[in-house]
Amino acid sequence: MGDAASLRLAGVTPQEPMHLLIVGVSHRTAPVELRERIDFAARGAGAALRGIVELPGHSEAAILSTCNRAELYVGCQDVGVSRRQLSSFLHEFHGIPADSLEPHLYQHADAEAVRHLFRVACGLDSLVVGEPQVLGQVKDAYGAATEARTAGPLLNKLFHWSFAAGKRVRTETGIGEGAVSVSYAAVSLARKIFGDLKGRSVLVIGAGEMAKLTALHLKSQGVDRVTITSRTLAHATALAHTIGATTIPWERLQAAIGEADILVTATGATRPVLDRSHIEPAMRPRRNRPLFIIDIGVPRDVDPSAGALDEVFLYNIDDLQAVVRDNLSKRAAEISRAEVLVAREVEGFMAWHRSRGVVPTVVALRQRFDEIRRSELARLEHKLGGLPPETRSRVEDITRLIVEKLLLSPTEQLKAVPDAETVILYSDTLNRLFALEPNGAKHRGTGQPLAGSEKDRANETDAAATPGAASKSDDKVIT
Amino acid sequence: VQTILLLIYAVAGGAYAVHFARRDRASGHLSTTMLGIAVLAHTFTIGMQTMALGHLPLAGTSQAVSMFVWLLAVSYLYAEMTTGERAMGAFIVPLLVALQAVPVLAPVAANRTPILDSPLFGIHVSSLLFAYASFALACVVGITYVLLFNEIKAKHLGFFYSRLPSLEVLDRMNARAVLVGWCFLTVGVAVGAVWAFQAQGAPVPDPRVAAMSWQDPKILAALLSWSIYSFALWARRSAGWGGRRSAYLSAAGFAMVLLNLLPVSYFLTRSHNF
Repeated sequence: MGDAASLRLAGVTPQEPMHLLIVGVSHRTAPVELRERIDFAARGAGAALRGIVELPGHSEAAILSTCNRAELYVGCQDVGVSRRQLSSFLHEFHGIPADSLEPHLYQHADAEAVRHLFRVACGLDSLVVGEPQVLGQVKDAYGAATEARTAGPLLNKLFHWSFAAGKRVRTETGIGEGAVSVSYAAVSLARKIFGDLKGRSVLVIGAGEMAKLTALHLKSQGVDRVTITSRTLAHATALAHTIGATTIPWERLQAAIGEADILVTATGATRPVLDRSHIEPAMRPRRNRPLFIIDIGVPRDVDPSAGALDEVFLYNIDDLQAVVRDNLSKRAAEISRAEVLVAREVEGFMAWHRSRGVVPTVVALRQRFDEIRRSELARLEHKLGGLPPETRSRVEDITRLIVEKLLLSPTEQLKAVPDAETVILYSDTLNRLFALEPNGAKHRGTGQPLAGSEKDRANETDAAATPGAASKSDDKVIT
Repeated sequence: VQTILLLIYAVAGGAYAVHFARRDRASGHLSTTMLGIAVLAHTFTIGMQTMALGHLPLAGTSQAVSMFVWLLAVSYLYAEMTTGERAMGAFIVPLLVALQAVPVLAPVAANRTPILDSPLFGIHVSSLLFAYASFALACVVGITYVLLFNEIKAKHLGFFYSRLPSLEVLDRMNARAVLVGWCFLTVGVAVGAVWAFQAQGAPVPDPRVAAMSWQDPKILAALLSWSIYSFALWARRSAGWGGRRSAYLSAAGFAMVLLNLLPVSYFLTRSHNF
């Protein structure tokens, strides 16, 4: 691979395949104080994206910015040069001194960069392994890049591939399974007991912040009726008003327990406010309907004796945390399976990427053949001139068809080449055998509108000049 | 032929067990495909027997059990395809395998007597078999309900928690299966009684028809299971006996059904040994 890269840098293949580079910081490399300052949302990702593609040698860019990471994804001509440009871009754009940023930056190039994005999309690189939000954030990053028109063929394919990889890993492994926060653990338990939460009713005892958050969370999960009660009715009424719930006076507590499916207790009381003797009479009119008690008060609000009642499921905060710990360790056990899938997806993407490296050669080959066809037709013009128009166009069709047929097999073979070295070898051979255009610039002009301006600026900067300079900068990057 | 069917069912059962433990897509597809093949082969077998006999192969315990296996497999496959829920297969298909062993071990069958030619006999047997298939489903669902209930209650969320649907769904499935089974059981018993009454007036008296009374173990056991399921339905309606209580009742009821289907039919009854 290293040989192939240096060959490419030395310009053996004129249509130098684009490199993929990631530069960024994440929760693994940078403290939150620094991550906060690299906030693209505040300064406008669009401006940053345009700024990056205007850098010499850069044709594509995307920015993944979440609270745990800020990463630049670029398609570039030279990894080492680009690395330095992006680092100085970051410190200029965010006004962070280079020496305080540099030690926290990491970079991945080509296959490693692909692996990195796929791991991020699966949640393998997340603080909480397998968390689902990150896939949405990756989609947002791609959306912003398409909006700013900085995503080209490479990033288009890469990001779409990463969505599919993220989805596949999530469905085929247990990496995203099981709730990993207390509130989700409570909701998933409620779902396991009641199925759909629509039409279920919740009684909340307490009017503090925890009570509010839990009530809101359950509401967002489809619970229809939320009733709040508290020893001080005014507190309950105030909370009920803000979240759209009803209240009942403390004296009606017993009857309300009888009607509720889920009971949330979150009072500030120092001793349990409910025990078996409160719950038991409320269970009789329920006719065996299960009651799920979520006790998130610290210290506990419900005496454990209530949990011994038939049809009562009592979970306190410790129980829920134990569930979360258990789920986390189950996810951790799935990591190796997920990594295998990621590796397979990376392989698939790299095969596509390599096949793309031959595209300029294929295009040149086709044009060469077509040129020959046309010039032969032109040469025979004096003989063909006398033919009726429909026969003339038939000749046109037949010759084109012959060229297509001749090129079919070589094109397929080229695209199926498994490794980069062979791609270069084949391209080179074809260039020589068929005297193809040594430099595909003529054909690439339409595909890459930035090519001209890039070249101009590349001449101004000394960075992109020689392969030696590039490999030296590579060393610096690694240290 | 029944042995080949048994083998296919056994392979499907193994696949379901593997899928239940591993939960990957490949073993899931394999399970459903194998069961589908088993059902197709079974359908073909029953079709051939029907052509050969000129009527459905319902007489005799072996044929009846084989028919029962086929009905249960078809209903389960239908349930799986409509709900996308494969977890139950790990419980149902092994039951199919166990039952399919009966026709393999006890092959039939003599010619049947002309008194069985009445259309009422066909209705009698097929509706009872359908009832039993429903009860089997209710029992399996009930057992899984109890397993899941105990896991949640003990705050030990493990094997079943991540594999089974919610308690609510299991309870509703159980209730529906019991209701459907009860309806078919009622029809089956009633039609059987009418048919037995008619058969008594037949020109050639048959000792087995004469033995059809309350005292016959087969009939007694059927009535007993009918009362268990009637009670289960009544208790759910009027006293809210859902969940675990209904699960225990449907397990007891199905135990009675199995008892009736196998040992009673082979050793005890004097009225139903056709």
